[in-house]
Amino acid sequence: MKKSFLTFALIMAVAVTVTAITGVGGNYMPHVYINPGHGGHESDDRNVVIYPFAAGDTSGYWESNSNLKKGFALNNCLRAKGYTTSMSRVTNDENSDLPLSTIVRLCNESGADIFYAIHSNATGVAARRNHILALYRGYTGSPVVANSDVLSQTLMERLQVNAAAVWTSNYQIAGDFTFYPDWHNAGLGVLRGNNAVSMLSEGSFHDYIPETYRLMNDNYCWMEGWNFSLGADDYFGYSFFGKGCVAGNIRDNRMPRVLNDFIMFGDDNREPVCNATVILLDMNDNPLDTCYTDDLYNGIYAFKMLDPGNYKIRVEQEHYFSQTKQVTIQANHSSYCNFDLARVRETPPEVLNYSPVWNEGDAPLKANTPVIFEFNWDMNTEVTENAFHIEPAVEGHFRWEDSNYRMVFEPNDAYDINTLYTVTLDTTAEHGGGMRLQEPFSLQFKTTYRKHLEVIDIFPHEGDPVHYKAATIELRTDSMLNNSYYYDKILLTDKDGNLLTYNRRSTKTGKNTDPFGFIRIPVASTMVPGEEYTLTILNEMCDTAGIHLPETIVHKFTAVDAGEEKPDATLIEGFEDASTFLMVTATSNGAENTQLSNSTDKLFGSKSLQIKYPCSPQGGQYEFTSTAISEATIAGDEELSLHIFGDMSNVDINIQLSSTDNSDHQIIDFGKIDFHGWRYITGRGNLKRDKTYKIESIFIGNNPEAPIKISSATIKLDNLLKSQKSVAVYGDVNGDGEVTASDITELYNFLLNGDDSNIVNGDLNGDGEITAADITAVYDVLLGVTNAAPAIKPAPESAPNANVKVGPVPSSDYIMASAAGYIQGVELYDLNGNLVARNGGNYMNVESINDGHYILKVYCGDQVSSHHVAVKH
Amino acid sequence: MKRTLLLLLGAWVLIGSAQQVKVTSSTPLLRGVEAAFYPTLNASGDRLLYSDVDAHGLKMLDLNTQAVTIISDQNGAGFDAKWSNDGQVYYITSKVDEQSRLVFRTGMRYDMTRQTNDVVLEAQHGAVHLETGTKGVAMNGEKHTFATASNRGVSVYTTGSQLVVNINGKENRYTPVESYAGYLWSSVSPKGDKIAFFAAGKGIIVTNLQGKVLSELGNYEMPCWYNNDYLVAQNASDDGYQFTSSQILLLKADGTFRHELTPKTSMTMQPTSGGGKIAYTTIDGNITMITIDINE
Repeated sequence: MKKSFLTFALIMAVAVTVTAITGVGGNYMPHVYINPGHGGHESDDRNVVIYPFAAGDTSGYWESNSNLKKGFALNNCLRAKGYTTSMSRVTNDENSDLPLSTIVRLCNESGADIFYAIHSNATGVAARRNHILALYRGYTGSPVVANSDVLSQTLMERLQVNAAAVWTSNYQIAGDFTFYPDWHNAGLGVLRGNNAVSMLSEGSFHDYIPETYRLMNDNYCWMEGWNFSLGADDYFGYSFFGKGCVAGNIRDNRMPRVLNDFIMFGDDNREPVCNATVILLDMNDNPLDTCYTDDLYNGIYAFKMLDPGNYKIRVEQEHYFSQTKQVTIQANHSSYCNFDLARVRETPPEVLNYSPVWNEGDAPLKANTPVIFEFNWDMNTEVTENAFHIEPAVEGHFRWEDSNYRMVFEPNDAYDINTLYTVTLDTTAEHGGGMRLQEPFSLQFKTTYRKHLEVIDIFPHEGDPVHYKAATIELRTDSMLNNSYYYDKILLTDKDGNLLTYNRRSTKTGKNTDPFGFIRIPVASTMVPGEEYTLTILNEMCDTAGIHLPETIVHKFTAVDAGEEKPDATLIEGFEDASTFLMVTATSNGAENTQLSNSTDKLFGSKSLQIKYPCSPQGGQYEFTSTAISEATIAGDEELSLHIFGDMSNVDINIQLSSTDNSDHQIIDFGKIDFHGWRYITGRGNLKRDKTYKIESIFIGNNPEAPIKISSATIKLDNLLKSQKSVAVYGDVNGDGEVTASDITELYNFLLNGDDSNIVNGDLNGDGEITAADITAVYDVLLGVTNAAPAIKPAPESAPNANVKVGPVPSSDYIMASAAGYIQGVELYDLNGNLVARNGGNYMNVESINDGHYILKVYCGDQVSSHHVAVKH
Repeated sequence: MKRTLLLLLGAWVLIGSAQQVKVTSSTPLLRGVEAAFYPTLNASGDRLLYSDVDAHGLKMLDLNTQAVTIISDQNGAGFDAKWSNDGQVYYITSKVDEQSRLVFRTGMRYDMTRQTNDVVLEAQHGAVHLETGTKGVAMNGEKHTFATASNRGVSVYTTGSQLVVNINGKENRYTPVESYAGYLWSSVSPKGDKIAFFAAGKGIIVTNLQGKVLSELGNYEMPCWYNNDYLVAQNASDDGYQFTSSQILLLKADGTFRHELTPKTSMTMQPTSGGGKIAYTTIDGNITMITIDINE
């Protein structure tokens, strides 16, 4: 329990032989002015709320309390040594909180030789640390009052030896002008004009909670006061006192701290032992003195004013084995002797509760279910973890809770699906006292089919162009996402790694009724057109069941200005007036409730056209036109471009055209709306060069077979343009400005897989369709049959799946494929689309394959990619 | 510090009073010359002592000629410099002895006529209190003392929680109010019939020459007589580390009137008065001298 300070009378009773200092004109003992910082229990008196005290409870921690305790101790110690002293306060009420000018004047008029302002520190922020700081007036190394830096140094060395504390770093000494550069040399008020050799001590950090509890202990504060007096002795060169002290911290030797919802360092992580009896013994085991640790979670004890010599200290506490240590007391020194006590654990460990509790016939468990054991004792964590076995083996990690009474095992990734697991805790498991489990303990459980959170779609996709303003990012998954803490798992960064900010209030998340899980986050930051950005979704992203992504996803994309002016294009329709659009009833089917209206969210003019399209489960289409659209004519060598505001609804949008002689009907495809925000899209199509076309309608439709079901789409359209086709090089299928083998690959991707995503101009011969004849046309360019052909370049490794790499090109023996995921197999096709060879691995043996160009199809996960390869022996 | 009750009382006093105070002139001093602290006006208000922020050195400004005289370059010289009844300057310097590391204080006199400094009290350890009376000056140290005359008229100084009143050579010690930390800033009114001092934890107290409390003016610091009925004082607050506000107040000695000569946010401090003038500095050393008109 709390023990009161040694009284002044007791201290004065200590026989002291004082040898005074010979100064200028006489023998004197120094006068010390003691300023216990702050005073009272007001807002500037530093209340730190700790259990069990409520905020504002004057019995709880206040810096004004602990400063005064230290001040009393220092005052008593100094007087016991023969110093004369003054204190600025001896009470802790509002009247004792003296103004700074008053404290300085009191110090000066007292005739003080040295001045100690006693404080403790706080970070003022969430960060925590614990160290000592001394400040004197002036710049570091240039004290205003000579020797103030020396006084600081002597004190800091005495305070730093306190081994009952846990220090995060060594002490710091600074001039206050240097330490507070923003104060413009005003400096600390109690040092301003102070004629004594003076300093202010921040003895520890009182918002480091283990230290807060220590500062609640009278003995701990007394020891700091005693150490101050030793610092004064050192400063004046005294060593005559002949007494020493011992203090220490008593902790459990292994059990983590029970009150632990705060930052802790080092030994502070272990439980302090409250209500211990600490007995000071002579070397013949005769008791000399007794003190006690209090019940405020600090484990502090101290014996004061001891004659130098050897002693023993015995610690007793009913729940711990007693422990005795020998300590040597030196005059004018503080000794520290910490104890790590072993708890008395008189019965063997038992599993009191466990999880999961699963029996044959029960529903299988999710694939990340933790295994939990609750014991009757705190356990030896290392030994018990070694006694833990799970079959089939799973890599995982352990977590200990409730001061090592609860053990939690979690798989690092997830268990295998549809698997029966057996967990065994063998009899080598033991508690902190070393007794073992009497019988092995086993449990079983079976996992479900599902292991990972599956991604349905992410926007932006890798390489997407994204309008720089009001961007939106979206993650779609196969189950409802956990709506907590996702902002730190979905990171959007610029090229320098700076995080972009989100408009959190407008974030949309999925509900139980939605067909898939999603989170849709508007980006508050405006991006810079032309610069690259990175979307990172950490694999910790999980659904409501805690099932997380299999791996972290990184998509790089580029910011663009979708509203950039196109001076060479001709405007067909500006979509400024919704009332001018009419549904084409003959071809619209199943989506008659589509609504057209104007929106002020636009790129050009004053409005855009907003189309709200109800997606029928049976599929459907809505077609509309306007006078301006229907009267426009499109030449066969022209292309159409449209500004579309997408909502990631995955509806199709295209433009239907007929030749003016009605002999040809074409579709210019703008693709699926698999993006958010404005995008400038040039439609893909194959108008015949010798024809002129008129627009029949703009088409919006949804496919009932589409994997992503959505109830409605809301998209917007702005400026429909026509312009000359921008194919600079004949044979440049993918529009990268040159003719290479990759152009052939793109054509094969279309012919073999129907993938035309990278084809800008595949209909080279202008017959209105892409066929093998177009591949021949590209070969003619590459082989020099057609003019203006560049040399053949190796096929780019990135097309069309950047994650799959194929090589070497050409190859004489093996063609290898590599990817981040598992490759199930490869197939080799000739340029006519005929299967030449197939292998169930990631390689193809081409030793017996004829020289020539081929397409290698790579099956990786649920993706198939095609790559142009060549064989040459 | 909480002063709610006192402020409420002060507000009542202000409302209940008919006095009006008007600042009739305001003159910045030493602007662009140097930062100046611890201003002390002489009785006629035409000379001003000042020092630097740490009371290091002592200078004098002649308000008529604006000439600056360097009196001392010693530590502590500016902290408690005082004018004597005969117009000399007395002050105390402090020095840390290199061998013992103790602080020794020396009593000094600056002769205005000869413009020379004399040691009037040799260096000694411990407190030295400077006492200026209507007829003389004394310096009271723990080992040695100095006095220009045994009869110094009416004078006062404080030591600990004692008010030491000297009347025509007879010394009496009083403890009019309890104050653990002690008394400071004592002075006798111009007519020599009242004493004002500061009691730590209590504030400014006005007594008669026998130590009887006449009024308690509030928890302000550095009282300084403006005339026989009014004082100026500093009203500062802090967060335990640095000043958070500071202003100059005009207080009636009987406790019936309080007026803010400067706002709290002005960070004005260390008031002095002499010859019907008031001077004060700021946290960064800008001295201003004002004159006021009190309409009673």
